[in-house]
Amino acid sequence: MADQTLPIAGTVDVTPPRRSTAMLLEWLHGWVVTVDHKRLGILYLVYGIFFLLVAGAEAIAIRIQLAWPGMHFLSPELYNEMFTMHGTTMVFLVGMTIIFGFANYLVPLMIGARDMAFPRLNAFSFWMTAFGGLLIYYSFIGGFGLYGMGAAPDVGWWAYAPLTAKAFSPGHATDYWALALIVAGFGTLGTAINVIATTLSMRCRGMTLLRMPLFVWLMLVTSGLTLITITPLTAAQIMLVIDRYLGGHFFDTQAGGSAVVWMHFFWIFGHPEVYVLVMPAFGIASEIIPVFSRKAIFGYPAMVAASVGIAFVSLGVWAHHMFTVGMTSVGNAFFVLSTMLVGIPTGIKIFNWVATIWGGKIRFATPMLFCLGFLFQFLIAGLTGIMLSVAPWNWQLHNSYFVIAHFHYVLVGAIVFNVFAGIYYWYPKVTGRMLSETLGKWHFWLFFIGFHVTFDTMHFVGFLGMPRSIYTYEPDRGWNHLNFIISMGGMIQAIAVLIFAWNLVHSYLKGKKAGNDPWDAWTLEWAVPSPPPVYNFAADPVVHSRRPLWDLKHPEDPDWKYEA
Amino acid sequence: MTETTQHKAGPAHSETIHLPAPTAWPIVLALGCALAAAGLVTSLWVTAFGAVLMVSGCVGWFRQVLPHEAHEDVPVVVQPVTITTTRRVVRRLEIGPEHRAHLPVETYPVTSGIKGGIAGGIAMIFPALAYGLIAQHSIWYPVNLLGGAGVGPSAHITTAEIAAFHWSWLVVAIVIHTVTCLLVGLLYGAMLPMLPTRPVLLGGILAPLLWTGLLHSAMGVINPALDARIQWGWFVVSQVFFGVVAGLVVAREGKIKTSRGLPFFARMGIEAPGLMESNPNAGPPEYSDEEKH
Repeated sequence: MADQTLPIAGTVDVTPPRRSTAMLLEWLHGWVVTVDHKRLGILYLVYGIFFLLVAGAEAIAIRIQLAWPGMHFLSPELYNEMFTMHGTTMVFLVGMTIIFGFANYLVPLMIGARDMAFPRLNAFSFWMTAFGGLLIYYSFIGGFGLYGMGAAPDVGWWAYAPLTAKAFSPGHATDYWALALIVAGFGTLGTAINVIATTLSMRCRGMTLLRMPLFVWLMLVTSGLTLITITPLTAAQIMLVIDRYLGGHFFDTQAGGSAVVWMHFFWIFGHPEVYVLVMPAFGIASEIIPVFSRKAIFGYPAMVAASVGIAFVSLGVWAHHMFTVGMTSVGNAFFVLSTMLVGIPTGIKIFNWVATIWGGKIRFATPMLFCLGFLFQFLIAGLTGIMLSVAPWNWQLHNSYFVIAHFHYVLVGAIVFNVFAGIYYWYPKVTGRMLSETLGKWHFWLFFIGFHVTFDTMHFVGFLGMPRSIYTYEPDRGWNHLNFIISMGGMIQAIAVLIFAWNLVHSYLKGKKAGNDPWDAWTLEWAVPSPPPVYNFAADPVVHSRRPLWDLKHPEDPDWKYEA
Repeated sequence: MTETTQHKAGPAHSETIHLPAPTAWPIVLALGCALAAAGLVTSLWVTAFGAVLMVSGCVGWFRQVLPHEAHEDVPVVVQPVTITTTRRVVRRLEIGPEHRAHLPVETYPVTSGIKGGIAGGIAMIFPALAYGLIAQHSIWYPVNLLGGAGVGPSAHITTAEIAAFHWSWLVVAIVIHTVTCLLVGLLYGAMLPMLPTRPVLLGGILAPLLWTGLLHSAMGVINPALDARIQWGWFVVSQVFFGVVAGLVVAREGKIKTSRGLPFFARMGIEAPGLMESNPNAGPPEYSDEEKH
């Protein structure tokens, strides 16, 4: 009932809940024409989770193929398509969509707004992203490539030149990759513009920049970074299309072009992209850790400054992916040092999260468990990142499974763990139902164990010289058992994800009712009913501190007494 | 802890909220864009169809927002409330000096160490000169020993040469003496918080040991010939002079409160709700209607 809302701006919402009597088609039509940020957020999240399952299935296929030497579970050409589509899907169709799903759903609620600044652009951006994803997967049916019909892109998610040239990638498989990501990229740009405009212009009264929830801050920084980084990728993909369709020579080394230019374009997008994905995950952790430690976040201004610092530094590190290309010693030294510099603001963040937990009254609910896993794994990922930032070390291990282990520690150990944490945390708000804690803990522990079995072992097989993207290997390399262990870890993770998917469906139908504020949290989204009404807030909220709900719940000891 | 928060409700009343109207044109435009791109890998007819959808989408979208944005009205019912609380207030632990017993609450400032270093440096000149007069019959002997360390005389220098006056050696000796006194004073000041209650003892023993140790270890490397001529007993006496005078100067300086008693975040200038000292007279800020942010 709406009359259970907290009294925001001195009023409570007692509007009777609207009961939907829509038929299936009307219901579907409602979702297709919606411009409501919450519905679009849910669409983004459902879309992202669906493709998470798809990309997970591709990863399992890859791991079965590599579980033992000389396997022929996949054909070589299908194997290439699998690792290309796995990487592309995880980055562009899972990571980006889920973070923008969270942003769409949460940013207006957290800042006390009724919708995004540009609701129609918001809908357009989602559908662009969705159709981009469908287009790239249509290549499995309609794509014509090196091996005939039904050819998906097979050039790796980084699509290095000159492999993408017509001579080496005939047909349209590579074109599907470029065109689909151009389409999806415009959707991403639209959402980034929307998040920035919403955050800067639609905050409720009293919500100064330094009172915004850290998730909103991180999404603001991420969106700015997205605008800077997606544009060179889109430009490079348009140049690639020109090369392939109009006889251009941007990346044609035999006609005066440069394959290295593609690498620069790709990585000036690609490395900040890691931060585009991980910073919203930081935002999720920054919301969950304080609530489950029962303490305000430690060092809020330092966290904001570190976020901006990470975004700034991340724009100057891209060529550490190119140490083996053969840069000058000055170039190598610059990118070594700039990469190491990232360790400072990220270190500040880790210390502040630990300081928030320190002395807190910790509740080990599923969202917190995933955040704790993230803290540990992100620290390890940072350390291996520092190792790889050292050029001579990088020369030894470039393109090895050590690199794969490092970036999966970031993308899975940090991002996916926090995405799971965020889903467990906000699912009650979105659906009005609690996710099962029992299934959630099974999910966490199986995923945690599977993650470490897979990716810890991957470091060792990388040390032993196993290169990435190989179809199979000789049995005398000493990699056999390690690869088998890695594949088993992948299976454990897959079981965990299936439990998660079952939990989502089962809890939606039979989960415990959540109420408005099941976690006793402090940000504005918990002041409205679960799920929130279409208008979010019946009255415009007014906030006086970073934890407006703490102020409401504790009028004898409000935060505004202590915040400057 | 029992808590009974009371909301005194007023009469409910209806309001209307304007929200942007749902529209299909964004999805039409997006489908048009996607098909226009897909046509490049399928058929140009697909591109043509995509272009038609794009134009339709743009026209439909414009008509949604021009001349007036389409919206829908959502009725809501709100009820004003006044919040009061009878929550039991927990008395907070008063943090007194005894909670910080392991840390000095007050100590001497680092600058007092520098002042002590300057004063001690002046004082130690006198026993050094006395040593020169008594042992070598020349006040320039200790000066040249110090200055010679910087000038670097030959390994076969005689005692008579060391006892003679040299302008360059004097200048170098003054520079070395001044810089070293300041550095040792600074080091002394930095160590004061560790031994805050015995500045004279620290100055009289630790500082001479520091300086003597520093020079004893360095002179053998800098200038072995001069190192062999230094009488380390006299040297220690002059250092004790330095230390005692420096300690007395420090003791005369007033103590200041250390910031160690403050929470870490306070020293870092970081705000931390609930742990900083509160302002009980503060109230929630008032916002005018025009003041949005």
